[in-house]
Amino acid sequence: MKIKKAVITAAGPKQQHLPLQTLVSPTGETKTVAAFLLDEIFASGIESVAIVIAPGTETDFSSAVADHLDKVTFIEQATPLGYGHAVLCASDFTGSDPFLLMMGDHLYLSFAKESCVRQLLDFASQASGPVSAVQPTHESKLPFYGTVAASPVGGVQGLYEVSHMIEKPTPTIAEQELIVPGLRSGNYLCFFGMHVLTAPVMEHLDQSFTGEGDLPLTPSLAAAARGEKYLACEIEGLRFNIEEPYGLLRAQLGMALSGEGRDEVMGAMIELIAVTRR
Amino acid sequence: MLVSLITAEDPVIRDRSLADSCAPLDTDSLLRECSELDAFRRTSENLYHRVRAIFFLQAIYRFHLPGKLPVSATGSIPFEGYEYLLGRHFEEAIDVFLEIQDQDGPSDGICSALASAYHQLAFQTLADQVRKSVRTVRGNQWMFRMGHPADHPLRIRRELLEQDEHRFPILCERTPVRMDLTHSAWSDIFFLGMDFPQGARVVNVSVDLAVHGRDSKPKPPVEAYFRIIDEPVLKLTSIDLKATAVISSLGDVFDFAKDYLGLLKAAVIASGIIPPGIEGSGKSLADLLNRLAGPNRGIEIISSVNDIPKGSRLAVSTNLLAALISACMRATGQTNSLTGELTESERRLVLARAILGEWIGGSGGGWQDSGGVWPGIKLIEGEVAGETDPEHGISRGRLMPKHKVFNQEEIPDSARQALTDSLILVHGGMAQNVGPILEMVTEKYLLRSSAEWKARQEALDLLDQIVKALAGGDIRELGRLTTANFRGPLQTIIPWATNHFTETLITRVSEKFGDDFWGFWMLGGMSGGGMGFIVDPSRKQEALNIIHDIMIQTKRELENALPFAMDPVVYDFGINPHGTFGQIHHGEEALLPPSYYHLALADTLRTPPADLSPTARAELDQFARACRTNSAFSSSVESLFETLIPRIGDQSAGDNSLSKLLTENGFDRRQHEQIRKDLVEGRIGLAQNRLPATTVIKDVAPEDVTDFTKSDATENLALGEQALADGEVGVITLAAGAGSRWTQGAGVCKALHPFVRLAGRHRTFVETHLAKSRKRGQEAGTTIPHIFTTSYLTHQPTRQFLDTVDGYNYPGSLHLSQGRSVGLRMIPTVRDLRFAWEEMPQQVLDEQQQKMRDSVRAALLNWARSTGEASDYTDNLPLQCLHPVGHFYEVPNLLLNGTLANLLEERPQLKTLMLHNIDTLGADVDPALLGHHLASDTGLTFEVITRRLEDRGGGLASIGGRPRLLEGLAMPREEDEFALSYYNSMTTWIDVDRLLELFDLTRPDILARDEGKILAGIRKVASGLPTYITLKEVKKRWGNGQEDVFPVTQFEKLWGDLTTLSGIDSKFIVVPRSRGQQLKDPAQLDAWLRDGSADHIESLCEW
Repeated sequence: MKIKKAVITAAGPKQQHLPLQTLVSPTGETKTVAAFLLDEIFASGIESVAIVIAPGTETDFSSAVADHLDKVTFIEQATPLGYGHAVLCASDFTGSDPFLLMMGDHLYLSFAKESCVRQLLDFASQASGPVSAVQPTHESKLPFYGTVAASPVGGVQGLYEVSHMIEKPTPTIAEQELIVPGLRSGNYLCFFGMHVLTAPVMEHLDQSFTGEGDLPLTPSLAAAARGEKYLACEIEGLRFNIEEPYGLLRAQLGMALSGEGRDEVMGAMIELIAVTRR
Repeated sequence: MLVSLITAEDPVIRDRSLADSCAPLDTDSLLRECSELDAFRRTSENLYHRVRAIFFLQAIYRFHLPGKLPVSATGSIPFEGYEYLLGRHFEEAIDVFLEIQDQDGPSDGICSALASAYHQLAFQTLADQVRKSVRTVRGNQWMFRMGHPADHPLRIRRELLEQDEHRFPILCERTPVRMDLTHSAWSDIFFLGMDFPQGARVVNVSVDLAVHGRDSKPKPPVEAYFRIIDEPVLKLTSIDLKATAVISSLGDVFDFAKDYLGLLKAAVIASGIIPPGIEGSGKSLADLLNRLAGPNRGIEIISSVNDIPKGSRLAVSTNLLAALISACMRATGQTNSLTGELTESERRLVLARAILGEWIGGSGGGWQDSGGVWPGIKLIEGEVAGETDPEHGISRGRLMPKHKVFNQEEIPDSARQALTDSLILVHGGMAQNVGPILEMVTEKYLLRSSAEWKARQEALDLLDQIVKALAGGDIRELGRLTTANFRGPLQTIIPWATNHFTETLITRVSEKFGDDFWGFWMLGGMSGGGMGFIVDPSRKQEALNIIHDIMIQTKRELENALPFAMDPVVYDFGINPHGTFGQIHHGEEALLPPSYYHLALADTLRTPPADLSPTARAELDQFARACRTNSAFSSSVESLFETLIPRIGDQSAGDNSLSKLLTENGFDRRQHEQIRKDLVEGRIGLAQNRLPATTVIKDVAPEDVTDFTKSDATENLALGEQALADGEVGVITLAAGAGSRWTQGAGVCKALHPFVRLAGRHRTFVETHLAKSRKRGQEAGTTIPHIFTTSYLTHQPTRQFLDTVDGYNYPGSLHLSQGRSVGLRMIPTVRDLRFAWEEMPQQVLDEQQQKMRDSVRAALLNWARSTGEASDYTDNLPLQCLHPVGHFYEVPNLLLNGTLANLLEERPQLKTLMLHNIDTLGADVDPALLGHHLASDTGLTFEVITRRLEDRGGGLASIGGRPRLLEGLAMPREEDEFALSYYNSMTTWIDVDRLLELFDLTRPDILARDEGKILAGIRKVASGLPTYITLKEVKKRWGNGQEDVFPVTQFEKLWGDLTTLSGIDSKFIVVPRSRGQQLKDPAQLDAWLRDGSADHIESLCEW
């Protein structure tokens, strides 16, 4: 399965301005979160991207991604009706093609030679159905993520076949339904914030959309898992949810500590620790 | 050979009875078997093999080996082993005892010590396994890993956080209770279900309840409420217990006995809101609540059981726990549904958490007890552990059973209605501890005692028949079957399942309703509490009131003999079709039960209006509106006033009655004040009871005692027989005590307790003692005068009781000797409490129970401090505030109250009195012993027995070369007692004239009833005896069957100390255990029945 399209959602009430925040990259370059995402996406071979935005934010976004404007389509989500609805807004753009789905409020830092997006696309290239990037996550973080029940696929390290998934499960449910063999106790496979999805997911979203109330994404992913072979792959890298308190700071620290600014930032942190009091 | 009974694959061998296998074995063979079993249990990896081997060992050492030992095998029990037992180091204790056995050979004492150690080890092993399984149930594990608020993975659901005019929504969970229609032959004990899942089966019905005559109609009796509050605290309220607590630290959440809210705390923990893993972390509760519910938010949880009395055997507590857990789990998104019924998987999760909660709270129910969570009528069965279960390879069954809810086709509505139309559900009012019963059941099951094993199979057959009868709506047949179950299997397994109260009720209901009485049905561990009577539906309405009246009448007759916690009640009930059910109320509908506001608003009203938070103001406004518009709140204003301004007056009435009692019973105020002064100043107290530490205490030499277990019993038989025939002997039974251990301080007359069925009927202690005297009298061709000593507590009831039963038609003269001295209990000193709990060896409890006990003790120390150390204990029923002053006084009372004078007038030839305790059932006027006493020409002959582990409280010692009885209270060191071979049975042969001599009295003085002289004599003797300070437990009853136990201080002088006096000579005689052993605790009864003691007693009696 070759992936040529990507969709980024950035229309949520809290997400509207996050992609416009600027950060310093590991190589010392200052750019917006949206630019970080697009650089990584296009570097991985994607040819066109749709960004789902809130009405009235296109100008801001256009200036934030000025370098890639020719390959970017902006799609307005007129009313905020949930994450699934934001994705559904891009259905004309994706058509019947498989596509990469990313979130505008997540940043990634790869530990491998390839970027996080590239790692996912490599797995997807061997698959015929949806593939979600996942990462073993401690149960205390369950309130933030969708979580999958899966079993390892023989012979491929870090690849799982998904049987079931639950959005933000309690640890009680997770322990009963989402334990994955091979993970440390109290850890679950949680979504990493990037997926490769196929047309049936869009079809299911379309069928589920009533126009009333929020349309979540996870039930449609779960439906896809029932209908076709749904894979999950572990990504060697870090994700930063910049929507969380201190999320942006963490992302910046992660970038800085893995790049040229490491010594400078560590020095500044030590100095701050020494002089500040709670 | 015995190991093969455990390991055999063939059920015929595996289910063979241990007793049958042991019967042909001699001592050496039994010891060899024990050695093999012990080696096996140390190496076996299979839990149930290990546990069965341990139970086998316990049974052999308790029941099979002692009877086969030579009489000379006495031997002492090493203190080191006893200390290990107290510290719950059972393995080490067993090693010490086995070493002594190897060294000195087997003895009765060592057998008792080994039996006790193996018994405790077996239950500890089983309890550990259940605990482990509870923790490893999926869905429970994460709670033990979470140790920091920042890691808390739960969040309160958004719906509960949305305020409407400063009012948070209220989540309400309503849950029925469960009744066990089949009685499962206790197969719902976890240990049984986990070893024998195929045999663990019950039919369990969810029911709504109402107290007949009090409540309008049945409704789910259990209610739990959950809401968010705007303060970062945990607020807990039990409406029924009228208790509320605002908790601001994590430590207090885990302090279960600090208040009456332990169950609510257990629910908060088991539901994962405050997971068990965070205990002891020292973290902040506010931080945790912030994580769960947001900044400055807290949680309020309220429970109500609508005044359903405690002890109903309907698992009210467990279902309340389950309701609270359901509400908390709904609120934190651990169930999909915030409201309505739960799904099957959610119910199972609530069950797992309720089991966890019971373990955390240190209690423990059966696995069917959360049955109210499920709807309607269901079959609950044990389940074989599969490969993916945590129990696999450890136990045959899973911890959690499976539930099959019967549908309309299987049990149609008409059958359900027929059951409702015929069954009368009652609470008989008795308060009983069923813990020992559950232990007995487990032990018997694992030993596969043949009769019990057969009975268990019969109970399983009956279950199938009961389901069939129910499905067909044949309630008459159902009644026949439940009665057959009660009469057959249940009483075969546990004879104590029935009692005199229950039997009387059944007889009377049967007499009243004849053929229209279709059957009896027992609920729970034993009868007397929750029970059912099944009648022809045409007579149900009439029967509701008649059965109530019969129960009240029977209780009135027996309340001095049996422990009742409350007056009996009859319930109206209905089958609940939903199981636990959640509802959410918003805005003006968000109301709590009226009684909640009576409790909670009192504080709010005392707060200046300016200081009230907007939420508190909204709450007041809400309440005020409800009072105006909601009929359920019509009398709320008055009730709130009652809470704000409590009534006075009841207390003074109690005081008056107490003063009256004190005056009537010879209370010595001067002596009381002196004792208080001495206590406060530390001159007397538990530590001061002890002899100086320098006292050298040795065991007696063989020549200090006459061993009647060995000597020729016929030597002085003729002398004794002649004295008996000549009417020279009488019996004194000490019956003044309340039997504190027998009923845990319930304050009933032990003497009148119909404690066991002998010769086909329940017999009281009084009847049994008279039956022995009757028989000895008949054999000697005479009658034996029999005196029962009584006290303020027992005199009137004993008199009335004996009148009712016509003195059991005793042919001889029957006297009551009324006590003439009484003490007033005091609040203990903190020093004495600490001494009792910290200085004296203590039985360490199981982990959670130990935590509970520590917490209770901390609360009791505070109680003693705040109430006033050594102040008078008056906060109870007047009779519970008095205390008898020790059995020494019971003989002087005979002199003082004219009983001895009456006896001497009636029988001038009287020379000897045999005095014994009410619970020494084997004591009778044995002519051989009487002959020995007469031939030895001594003032007092004390009977002693060889010591077993449970025989604590002193013994026969040699001090300075003189043999004397030494009270346990006076032992300078605990270990001294373990060096003593003999235990005091209290049975004493008294030479009347020598005794009078001790008191400087003569027969003419007694006959002249010279009170001044008699009093002077008593004072002289009493002044030579030590005064002991003791702590006794006293129950205070309140509410609907609730009971609290308090330690109180009292003093006593004891009979055995007469052996220290020089004015009278004392000799000691060793008698067989069957004669000298005492029944102190109902938990001893079963072993007493099994080891042949009951048969022996019966052989001494003529009814």
